[in-house]
Amino acid sequence: MQPILSVHNLNKYYGNQVGCKNMNLTLYPGEVVGVVGESGSGKTTFINSISGNLIPDSGKILIETGNETIDFLEISESLKRLLIRTELAFVHQNPRDGLRLDVSAGGNISERLMSIGQRNYGNIRQTIFKWLDKVEIDKSRVDDFPRTFSGGMLQRLQIAKNLVTSPKIIFMDEPTGGLDVSVQAKILDLLRKLVRELNLSVVIVSHDLAVIRLLADKIIVMKNGEAVESGLCDQVLDDPQHSYTQLLVSSVLQV
Amino acid sequence: MNNVLKFKNKKNTVAAQDEIYNFAYLDENTKRMIRRALIKALCIPGYQVPFSSREMPMPYGWGTGGVQVTSSCLTTDDVIKVIDQGADDTTNAVSIRNFFKKTANIKTTEKTSQASIIQTRHRIPEEKLKEKQILVYQVPIPEPLAFLEPRYQETKKMHALSEYGIMHVKLYEDITKNGHIETAYAYPVKTNDRYIMDPSPIPKFDNPKMNNNPAIQLFGAGREQRIYAIPPYTEVTSLDFEDYPFDPSKAPHKCSICGSNESFLDEIIIDDDGNRSFICSDTNYCNQRMENN
Repeated sequence: MQPILSVHNLNKYYGNQVGCKNMNLTLYPGEVVGVVGESGSGKTTFINSISGNLIPDSGKILIETGNETIDFLEISESLKRLLIRTELAFVHQNPRDGLRLDVSAGGNISERLMSIGQRNYGNIRQTIFKWLDKVEIDKSRVDDFPRTFSGGMLQRLQIAKNLVTSPKIIFMDEPTGGLDVSVQAKILDLLRKLVRELNLSVVIVSHDLAVIRLLADKIIVMKNGEAVESGLCDQVLDDPQHSYTQLLVSSVLQV
Repeated sequence: MNNVLKFKNKKNTVAAQDEIYNFAYLDENTKRMIRRALIKALCIPGYQVPFSSREMPMPYGWGTGGVQVTSSCLTTDDVIKVIDQGADDTTNAVSIRNFFKKTANIKTTEKTSQASIIQTRHRIPEEKLKEKQILVYQVPIPEPLAFLEPRYQETKKMHALSEYGIMHVKLYEDITKNGHIETAYAYPVKTNDRYIMDPSPIPKFDNPKMNNNPAIQLFGAGREQRIYAIPPYTEVTSLDFEDYPFDPSKAPHKCSICGSNESFLDEIIIDDDGNRSFICSDTNYCNQRMENN
């Protein structure tokens, strides 16, 4: 099987400051790769660089669309933005960054559909209801504005908005950050369900090892902009080799 | 410069023109700059061309863009008509007409068929336009995406890459809120199957008239410093959904003066009891019908 996304020797500097250095990643269809590390370790820089939000300084990003392999850093901006709208999705930590707050919930979900040319209101409406159902938002809220939603609902709405065009690769930057524990659990449940149901390929960034353990198949541990350890999730977390990973695993609070 | 020479040769016949001003107020270099923008705009239908808008002797919002475009197109042989919401006799129309009378000393008319240049605020005349006529629109906000995407840089990108999904989000919201597309004026159109364009705040009733029109249609936005255009016989389609097609609706009444069923109507309250009357917004159309009957 071919990886759907592969990143080779990716570097991103902010002046002399290292953003992330020498990063590699292989993502197979249906797989979830978690990126963990402390604040400032370069997780967000990495995920932004591979998702088109930031332009890395050097490296290679290959995306397999089924028909061809696309060199993500070499393609034209129009193709890149088309890919971002259709094949890729980005779930922000703060759902307000990924939603239009003055457009109704349904309108938010419909935007990607209409940008790929759907022009039938009835059908679009149907798809919106299907997705509200999938992310467990009550159908009666379809015409309400996102600003009337709770934090957890906003995050679920953002997930629906991103998944509606069935993108192949989903990037998530701390999707449960800033939510209380019970809501976190709900979102994680939902994500796990969607990942299995829709066979999604996901790169997820989190500082929360529990989140990664629950969702990810493989894991990359970052420190000071570099990957210090990577491998199968259970393997790395149960038998950490690098001293930093050991520290990270041992510092998880046990309740 | 041709204009100036032509004008000077004709000096005897146009003695009444105010000597202080260059022909049609703007200096020749400015007109040349605007004409270049106009030609570019005509070559790329619906694309907004930036131009360096001049300070005009009238406030922004009163048609400074339209006046600059008209001024750049005028020759001494032109006959100009100015309408404001369809009417020839409102303040804005009268003052702009007088402005050109004074600075260019050209003929003016109220008859649509006799005008070679028609400057308009928010209407397209009812009478069909012909080849060799120019319709100049006054535009307050040229960017159709402005209310959805506030970043100008981003809207430019969206136009360049034809990323117009968001435009339909607006129509979606309309249907969701009201059961039909509520936008009644400045209804977005796609020009030549490429650029989405704001037709200026004309009623959507006028949108179909833009399609395949034999006349040249020019749009000037003075404050926003943009010019765009529709060349003659260009396809202009109004955005819609398959199951909610575009509907150029009008009030279900007749004009109470000329009895027309076809023209766009103004609703007027005629007494203290709130009684209403509907009359043609295009005064010239209404008058001509009265004269012919």
